[in-house]
Amino acid sequence: MCHFPTRMADEEDETGFDEELDDGSGGVDVGHGKRKRLFSKELRCMMYGFGDDQNPYTESVDILEDLVIEFITEMTHKAMSIGRQGRVQVEDIVFLIRKDPRKFARVKDLLTMNEELKRARKAFDEANYGS
Amino acid sequence: MADPARIKPEAKPERTASAKEEHPKSGGTEDGPATAKPTDNKESSSQDESKQEVKSEMAAGEDEDEGTSGEPSAKRLKVEPEKKKEKRQKVDEDEIQKMQVLVSSFSEEQLNRYEMYRRAAFPKAAIKRLIQSITGSSVSQNVVIAMSGISKVFAGEIVEEALDVCEKWGDTPPLQPKHMREAVRRLKSRDQIPNTKYKQILFH
Repeated sequence: MCHFPTRMADEEDETGFDEELDDGSGGVDVGHGKRKRLFSKELRCMMYGFGDDQNPYTESVDILEDLVIEFITEMTHKAMSIGRQGRVQVEDIVFLIRKDPRKFARVKDLLTMNEELKRARKAFDEANYGS
Repeated sequence: MADPARIKPEAKPERTASAKEEHPKSGGTEDGPATAKPTDNKESSSQDESKQEVKSEMAAGEDEDEGTSGEPSAKRLKVEPEKKKEKRQKVDEDEIQKMQVLVSSFSEEQLNRYEMYRRAAFPKAAIKRLIQSITGSSVSQNVVIAMSGISKVFAGEIVEEALDVCEKWGDTPPLQPKHMREAVRRLKSRDQIPNTKYKQILFH
């Protein structure tokens, strides 16, 4: 094992841990079904932004993608079961997230900004149309 | 949202000039040794702290803004609209200024990371496809915006927790799957990860 780079030397549970950092195209992932990797590129940038290394490990990115997809799936199912059944509406999402301060604040911010942008675009278009 | 790029466009070219003066000062605004850090972990965690503060401050003043979408809190607001609006604008401006001071004192590596932090986002088309494949019917654009937003926050929570675990175990940054799994385990015990697969039996 001595010819492996140092950071690999202390792993105790991931044998067959593979160093292919640039393989973002998503090969076969035996763990969670053969779904193609949807967010590999974006998740890498996100992990760097949140504090990880500039080149995160592919396995970690995969784990995070599975977690995110599971999160979205759970939220969607929950949203379908409350409010108007069988549909997902913004109010349902906001209701589900109410206990989590960070997510709640973020959703409010995003929706507010979206409204502002729509208004600004509309005002801009009307100004152009008038002149 | 407190976006330093938004309010004062003339602040941008000043950024590099003021970076040198701001260096000793900005150490006082955030937690002490936040300016020049050799390890990535501490930089990012202090950045994240500042973002958390930013977000929680914003949340406090943000609800009353929309008269259009019929928020119930708008009714409460008719009692003292002036004072709250002024206070919120002041908090807004303070926050924006603090963010500007902070960002102007970033090193290049920190700037890169901050840029990635702000810019990285999930592709709306993929999220929309995913949600529609689960519901079977179409969803509105706002739903996609909300869902991608909270997914990003969710990913951030996991990465932050994993970095904590990594630091605690004496490892170095590129996060390994064992850190991620331990982070998930911890978040699950705090109920921050939704799980409707297993029904809880309360009294055996």
